[in-house]
Amino acid sequence: MSTSLSDIVKTDRARIFGIRTDLIEQFVDTLQQDLKAKVGLVIVSVFILAAIFAPELTPYDPMAQEYGVFQPPTLSGAHPLGTDSYGRDILSRVMYGARISLAVGLGAVLFGGFFGVLIGLLSGYYGGWIDDVLMRAVDVMWAFPWLLIAIMLVAIFGQGFWNVIFAVGFAYIDDFARITRGEVLSVREEEYILAAENVGLSDFEIIFEETFPNTVAPIIVQFTVLVARAMLAESTLSFLGLGVKPTTPTWGAMLGQGRTFLTQAPWISIIPGILIMITVLGINLFGDALRDAFDVKEGDEA
Amino acid sequence: MGMRRYIAKRVGHAALVIYFVATVVFIAVRSIPGDPARLMLGGDAPPEAIEALRQELRLDEPVYIQYFYWMRDILFGDLGESIFNNQPVLDLLIGVAGPTLSIGLVGMAIAFLIAIPAGIVSATRRYQVEDYLATLFSFIGISVPGFFIGILLILVFANRFEFLPAFGYVKPQEGLVTWFSHVILPALAVGVPYGGIIMRMTRSSMLEVLNEDYMRTARSKGLSPRLVLYKHGLQNALIPVVTVSGILFAVLLGGVVSVEIVFGIRGMGRLLINSINRRDFPVIQGGVILISIVFVFMNLLVDLVYTMINPKIKYGGGE
Repeated sequence: MSTSLSDIVKTDRARIFGIRTDLIEQFVDTLQQDLKAKVGLVIVSVFILAAIFAPELTPYDPMAQEYGVFQPPTLSGAHPLGTDSYGRDILSRVMYGARISLAVGLGAVLFGGFFGVLIGLLSGYYGGWIDDVLMRAVDVMWAFPWLLIAIMLVAIFGQGFWNVIFAVGFAYIDDFARITRGEVLSVREEEYILAAENVGLSDFEIIFEETFPNTVAPIIVQFTVLVARAMLAESTLSFLGLGVKPTTPTWGAMLGQGRTFLTQAPWISIIPGILIMITVLGINLFGDALRDAFDVKEGDEA
Repeated sequence: MGMRRYIAKRVGHAALVIYFVATVVFIAVRSIPGDPARLMLGGDAPPEAIEALRQELRLDEPVYIQYFYWMRDILFGDLGESIFNNQPVLDLLIGVAGPTLSIGLVGMAIAFLIAIPAGIVSATRRYQVEDYLATLFSFIGISVPGFFIGILLILVFANRFEFLPAFGYVKPQEGLVTWFSHVILPALAVGVPYGGIIMRMTRSSMLEVLNEDYMRTARSKGLSPRLVLYKHGLQNALIPVVTVSGILFAVLLGGVVSVEIVFGIRGMGRLLINSINRRDFPVIQGGVILISIVFVFMNLLVDLVYTMINPKIKYGGGE
């Protein structure tokens, strides 16, 4: 009984993976018109493909040292992007570095997003003292010097993939909570939510099956923007020697280690630096195009 | 809400933030697996030394007692002593605060001087060349880590043109020009990412204000467009920018740590990283807490100063 009614409630807009198809159409429209969106999509696609297929595409083992080889980029030669001081192939290393950037970027934001969205949904849906307590906590988190806390957490708990993800991801809980709550408040009084309540759906069903799918557009935008920021945070930690693992090739670590040879061999630092910049720029452009497509207001998300 | 209540609320919020930072630091250090004292001193430390440190850190007392003393000490400005050289942590940190504050403040000044005019131009000339240029600048700004900007600046201005020093810090007492020449490159490195965000905020906030009813009313009253823009528009548009700029000190501070490393400047960030490498936990804890206090305090200051300058702010909801 309740399923059939909830189906009626839900059929007002078709969905793919919980995302309303009209939003997807809007995005495809934007993509066709907006140069920003195209550039962003190309950069993001190349980055993701390079990260996924790094083991298949890389010409060398990223850790393999070649004694006596220390050469600048020669776009046609054996090492198109040159080698570092140990004779390691920079192209192979940056492609493996892309995997860490992508994994940490996504992991940290998924972690922050999971808890943040949950807090936002509960806070917005229930209101009252639950809202007061949760939002007070979120306000305090908002003013935290997060990168400093992340540095301290990695310093205390040690380097490592998961430690970096958690240390970076904590900072995003409040961003997601704020945005989700705002959205829930704006759909809270919509007819389909009220109808779902009247039909007698459980709170769980109303929150996760009726409310959440309708708050998803700004959350996706926020997700994209924060992946860019998480990648910057990861590169900073790696640069400081507090990243995934000292021996893993990551863009931040490569950049940091290359500093010793900055005058003789600036390419060791510059190549990963430019890659960080282009990739993060691409994600930011993509995020901005999503924002335009979904008509999400740029607000207090900074 | 009246101004006094608003200020009281802001101060209370700042105190709450510092209290929570102190609590997070406390919990983090206490949840180190194994014996924190052993970890701090290293595996080959003599047992007496470990025992002495356990006493000093009150590790044998119940957790709530440790917590009480921890908060009491912070309240009285006692951040403990460095394990590395036995100096009071507070003295160590204050000793290296000069370069950090110089870089941070000059960086912020540069960011505001570029970003706010750029944001205004961008909004008032929407979809024109100026807008695209400013937007491109801000997008690049928010996409480059400060330490990479620092490295590029060193390569261009210090190595190639030998125009500015790439290394170290000179106190302002030893000559303002030399001080500034040492501070300008690191300040740019921390200022550009910060400026990128401020510019975007200014632009979108300005665009929103330009569409408000009171702007239209002011224009229709026959006031000059310039007067309307700066008197009515800018004052209101800057409110969210100022709020966010305080919060974004965090971005600035995060930048300062890595930029100090790039330019070999002995500031708080470098002390923090060196202490991490030495496992000097009291300095790490103290550093995080003191930098947080500075950060929250500056944040508060910006907010209050703006409230005083612009009495027309609505002290609403605190959202």
